[in-house]
Formats: sequence, structure tokens, C-alpha cells
Amino acid sequence: MAHSVEFKNITKYFPGVKALDDVSFCASGGEVLAFLGENGAGKSTLLKTLNGDYQATSGEYLLDGSPVHFRSPHEAIEAGVSVIYQERQILMELSVAENIFLGRMPANKFGWIDIRQANKAAAKIISEFGLPIKPQTKVKDLSIAYQQMVEIMKAYSRDNLKVICFDEPTASLSDAEIDSLFAIIAKLRDEGKVVIYVSHRMSEIKRIADKVAIFKDGRYVTTKDARTTDESELIRLMVGRDLGDIYDNLDRNKTIGDELLRVEGLFSDYVEPVSFTLRRGEVLGFSGLVGAGRTEVARAIIGADKALGGKIFLEGREITNRSPHDAMMNGIVYVPEDRKTQGILANLDVSKNITISMLDRNSNAIGVLDTKKEEKIVEDGIRSFSIKTPNAEKKIVELSGGNQQKCIVARWMATQPKVLILDEPTKGIDVGAKSEFYHMICQFAKQGLGVILISSELPEIIGLSDRILVMSNQRIAGEVMREDATEERLLALAMTEGGKN
Amino acid sequence: MEKGKNMWVRVKSLIPGDKLILIVALIIVVAIFSSLNGNYFSWTNFVNILVAASLIGLVAIGHTYLIIAGQNDLSPGSVAAFTGVLCATLVSMGLPFVLAALVTLLSGVVVGLFNSWMVNKIKIEAFIATLVTQFVFRGFAYILCDGRPVSITDSAYLSIGATRFLSIPLSVWIMLVLILIFGLVLAKTKFGRSVYAIGGNKDAARLAGLNPQRIVTILFVIMGVVTALGGIVFSSRMHSGQPAANVNLEFDAITAVVLGGVSFTGGVGDMVGTILGVILIQAFNTGLIMVNVPSFWQYVARGALLLFALTSDYIRKTKREKALLEASKKALASNN
Repeated sequence: MAHSVEFKNITKYFPGVKALDDVSFCASGGEVLAFLGENGAGKSTLLKTLNGDYQATSGEYLLDGSPVHFRSPHEAIEAGVSVIYQERQILMELSVAENIFLGRMPANKFGWIDIRQANKAAAKIISEFGLPIKPQTKVKDLSIAYQQMVEIMKAYSRDNLKVICFDEPTASLSDAEIDSLFAIIAKLRDEGKVVIYVSHRMSEIKRIADKVAIFKDGRYVTTKDARTTDESELIRLMVGRDLGDIYDNLDRNKTIGDELLRVEGLFSDYVEPVSFTLRRGEVLGFSGLVGAGRTEVARAIIGADKALGGKIFLEGREITNRSPHDAMMNGIVYVPEDRKTQGILANLDVSKNITISMLDRNSNAIGVLDTKKEEKIVEDGIRSFSIKTPNAEKKIVELSGGNQQKCIVARWMATQPKVLILDEPTKGIDVGAKSEFYHMICQFAKQGLGVILISSELPEIIGLSDRILVMSNQRIAGEVMREDATEERLLALAMTEGGKN
Repeated sequence: MEKGKNMWVRVKSLIPGDKLILIVALIIVVAIFSSLNGNYFSWTNFVNILVAASLIGLVAIGHTYLIIAGQNDLSPGSVAAFTGVLCATLVSMGLPFVLAALVTLLSGVVVGLFNSWMVNKIKIEAFIATLVTQFVFRGFAYILCDGRPVSITDSAYLSIGATRFLSIPLSVWIMLVLILIFGLVLAKTKFGRSVYAIGGNKDAARLAGLNPQRIVTILFVIMGVVTALGGIVFSSRMHSGQPAANVNLEFDAITAVVLGGVSFTGGVGDMVGTILGVILIQAFNTGLIMVNVPSFWQYVARGALLLFALTSDYIRKTKREKALLEASKKALASNN
């Protein structure tokens, strides 16, 4: 009997975000369905809804044709739905067999665990998978690839496994390891399981998937045949056509001034020495893979991480930032990458979020706040960044992600900075708000600010930057001028020394 | 009937809902205990409740700030006992009362610095770090006086507990004035705003240019000083510094603060709730004594009250989250 899993009009809200918007798709046993989409397209929310980590706000979830409501991953696993995540979900101190049968170890009638039988059963699965590992080995002694295999075997060992999902499974695997993973995925498929494969590596999807479901901004776009649809078509569907026009229509700053910021050999615990300059009115892009050290450069500059050496010059004068407060006083401000955990103050309203960095300037000698001054700043912020909020007393988490981000920008622009560092400013916000941000960034450059733009989205960084620094392995791997910037060039630089860990 | 309804609406618009519940709860508590013991409903008893609440109130000021900032403090009971013994000892050694009081307040500063040092520098959770202080300072209190209460004969010292102003004892006035001042600071100043900010999200607050470690230090110092002040006032009322006094003081103060609407998750609450919570809990504790609840059962009742406070904190939190989700849904729908 072929299994199937189907979503009908699934919608999922989080405070400030509509993570899934009326998503429907269907996957049947005996085929591999790939989920394709950019960061923030909703893939991980989908997986978490599939395995019961999240519950859909509305819509239907059908497993083998009948509706299910999983309240926890445990319930989903019991019903035969397993997700293999990027982060290992296994217990390092236990053996392979103990992990495979975790929570249902064979036991005799006194509850005494029969380890020998567990090992025997594990050995059988291991040989089915054709792996050279022993049931008794502790998982921490295995390579990452084999640890992942243990997770797959754990899911596989359940008789009722119906659906198995892989979340970027090849992220830390070598080519040979990918081969053996794909062999196992093929085996699962041939046994009639539903296999869902999440990745944004196009070549892998072409290789392993039968069908591709494409998602964009939390919406389901379409499903295509993986083998007959060509890559550029898939990319077009995934990215959407509208962004190309957005970049072309930007009113970019054309007059770049003299040197504003110079960083010389700056390093911290998290980044190797970096040197670069930023000019007035310039948008300087920082590209590179996640974890290449871009955020860490920003944090070292503003003093969020302790700088262990190197110099920073602002307008030719050497400055030291021992804390973000110092940096702000010097005129360097940073809009952090993770809005939720580092940007917004979720317990406070829009007004207090915007004015939080102006407390010193808005209070008198004994620290009493001047509410008139605050109101004025808030009004200006809401107007100039067109923040959509019914009033300034709304809790910031009630706004959409894009509007929350605008509040953070308004917070910093109120301090009249000279250098604005934006770290993934458009992550997880919808296309409309993205284009507003792009216009805003160009406007800032025109006003003479130096803008440092950290972004993982290549079209974004190419479309906005005057100059791009590419980081790899906590170093600056190269510099590309706007005219010469292509996605291939940036990727090639980002991958340099990539294998050196 | 219609008229009564209108009145209710007007009252509700004047007083925020969560405070109204506290006032109603206070009325119910007073009504119940008054019906059980006729002496409960009297001016003398109300003044007694306020006097007994004055130490809890001082400590609750510190707890309001600390818990809003996402911290906590389990040491005030011991520290109040220690500072009471210290002040009494210094005076009995011949030091003028004013000087002795200053030294005692300074010891409160030291306690605060020590607590914040553990929290900021050794990164110990405040709950556990201040447990250290609770034990150490209980020990110091006994060591200082060799386990025997230090009696007070100095008239200036004794007048703190004895003086009345407008027929209300000075200790009550001290609590009320300080609650008013610290309430204004919390609501109206940049320091107060910073406390809410670091309680909401410490990392984000630091990136926004605040200095969470410095704020936490100041908060523990405030707690140390108000507790030391409480210790002085209490010893004056008791006519002696007692090393065994004030056990579970922090328990009552934390219960009061949480009853008053300060959330254990940080970032939420205010001083108006705290004063209502303080009066409510003391009205409750005094009532238990006056209706002769056996003292062992009083423990159970007070534990139940804390559980009630925490449960309502949880319900408020869930309600807030639900409301936020609904509101953001609306915001998103109107955006698209």
C-alpha cells in the first residue's frame, strides 16, 4: 500500500509573521519530493508542522488520507512521521543500538533490558543499510555522516514508518558520504515510503528528487517534475521575477565621498584580522557563507565582542568601542541579524523600542524622561520609515516582521549615526517590505552615511552594493567592485579555503 | 441596576483590570477575616497590618526591580537579620545611632555588590547565587552576636519604631514614601526604562546601547540598601537585633510582587501592583493568625497563596501571548 501525506490550505501564524500562507501539497509513497525555496520561504516551518513541533493555525493535515493533529514530535513519530534534522537529535554517550531503539529497548517481563537482542536487531538494520559500524559503538565516536545514518536507522527501525523528511542532510557530508546517503534514500523510496527532501542545492535535487515543490515567502508556488524541468526555470519560480526589476529601479547614490571608516587588522576571538575602508555615501557589501565571520566583524567593530587587536578610524580619528554604547556615541550603529533575539524588546511597545537608544539624550539631569521629546522622535520615525502600526503604544511584536525591522532602523537613525551596519536586514520579511528597505538603504547612502550591508542573498548584495568584500573562514577572501560582481564570482571567493576546517 | 452597571464601567475605566482584581481580592480577604473575627475590621488592626507589611514592602521594592529585570534575590531575610544585629551591635559599642545606621546601610551596599558580582562575573543564576548570600549572612548574623539577641537602649534608635506621624508609625511612612519614589523612578526615568528593557531582552538591550551588567549591579545594591534599612527599622521595633529574625522574608516579598503582576519571565509589572500585593499578603498573613489557624497550617496556606500568584502570572502570560498573536494576525492581514 502506498503511503501519502497531504497538506490542505495550511496556514501558520507567529507573532509578527505569517510563516505559512495557505500551503497545499501532496506527496505519495515511492517518490522523493523535494522542497525548494529561499531562506525564509517557510520550509523549516513546514517540516516542524509535519512532525508536530508546530500546530497549524488553520488547514488540514492528511496522513494516508485521514486527518491528523500531532501535538508533539513524539506523536508524529508514533504515527510514522520522522524528520531528520541538520542538528543531530541523538544521544552522544549512548551506543548505536541504544540510540536506534531509544525508548523501546527490547526487555524481558521484569523490565530488564536485553542489550544482546537490541544489538542483534541493530546489526540487522545496519547490514541492510550496508554500513561498516558496530551496534556497540558509542555514537560520539562516529563521523558526522554515520551519526546521521544512526538517526535514519532510528526512524527506519519503526515498523510503521510512513514519511521520512530530510532537512539539508548533505550540509556537512563529503561526496562519498552523499553517495551512500542517496543510496539509502533510494532504498526508502523503493520500499514505498514518502520521502521529503529539503535542500537548496540544485544539483542534488536534480539527482535524487522525482518532484519539486517550490515555496516562496511562506506560500506554495507549484510542483514540477524534477528531471524534466531545467534549473533556471526552478530558480525563476523560487526567486520570483519581481526582484530583478526592483534592483534596476533603485535610485542609487552616485557620488561617493571620501574615507569615513578605516578598519586596520581588527580581530576578536571569533574573527581573524580584517582591514578595510568605507567611504561616505558608499554601500559596502559583506558577502560569504553563513559562519564566514561577517557578523563577527560587525560585532568586533561595535564592541559587542571584545576586540583583541587592531585599530578603527572614524573620519581619520582613532576610536575605541568597548561596548555597543561606545560605538553608538561614536556614530556607528548595528542592526542585528536576528531581529527576535537581538533586535526587538518584545515586552515593550513601538514607541519605547524606537527611543531606547535615546534615553540619555531624552532625559534631564536627574534622569526623568521628556515624553514630548520621545513622542516627537517616535512620530518622525513612524512617518519617515512608513511603519505600519495603528499607534505607537502597540507592542512591537504585534507588527509584521518588516515593520518590526523598520522600528529597529528608526531606533538607530534617531541617533544620527555616521556608519550604519545592517546584518541580513531583509531576512524573513516579505517582498514588498524588502523593496522598501532597498530604497531606504539607497536613501541613507545619498544622505552621506556609510552603509555596511551584510547579506547572504547574492542578488541583494550585488544589486545594492558599490563594492563587495567576500569573507571565508573568518577572513576577507577578496574584494569585488560592483561592475565585476556576479553570483559565480562571489560564490567562488566564498568557497576559497572552504575545505580547510 | 442600570446605574450600578454604569458605575462599574466607570470604575473599570479608571483602574486597569489587573489592579482591579487585586483590590477586589483585598476586599474579599478583609471581608472573610472580618466575619471570622470581629477585631479584624478595626483601625488598630489595619495599622498593625501596615506596620507588619512595612519590612515586606521595603524588600518588595527591590524584588519589583530585580524580577522585572529578569533577576531575583533570596537573601533579604538573612540580610535584614544581619543588618539589624549589626546596627544594634554598633550602637551597643557606643557608636552614635546615625553613624551606626550609615555603616549598616553601607553593609547593604556591600551585600548588593557581592550578589551582582556573582551574577555578572561568575555568571551564576541569581536564584542560586543569592542562596549563597542567604546562608553566609545568616551565619554572619549569628557570628556577630554569638547567637544572642543584642538589645537596644539607645533612644534615637528606638524612636524609629515608636514615632508616629498622623497616628501612623514612621516605619509605614518610610515604606510608603520609598515605594512612591521608586515607583516614579521605575515609571518615569531612563533608569526605569532600562530595567524593563534588560528584563525583556538582555542581549538586544546591550546591542541597543544599554549596559545590562551595570544596571544589574545597581539593582542588587538598591536591594541591599532597602533591606538594610528594613533591618534597622525592624530591630528598632523589636528593641533588639535578632539573628534568627526575618526567616522567609523573601518568600513573602516575592509572593507580594508576583501577586501584584510582576512576571517571573521579566520585563512586565509596576510598583502600584506591588504595594497592593504587599498589603494583600500581609492582610492574609495577619488574618491567618487572628482566626487561629495553627502555625503549621499557615505555612501551607502561604505556599498555596504563592502557587495562586504564580498560576495567575502564568494565566496572564498566556493571555498576553494569545492577544499578541491575534493582534499580529490582524496587522498582517491588513498589510496584505
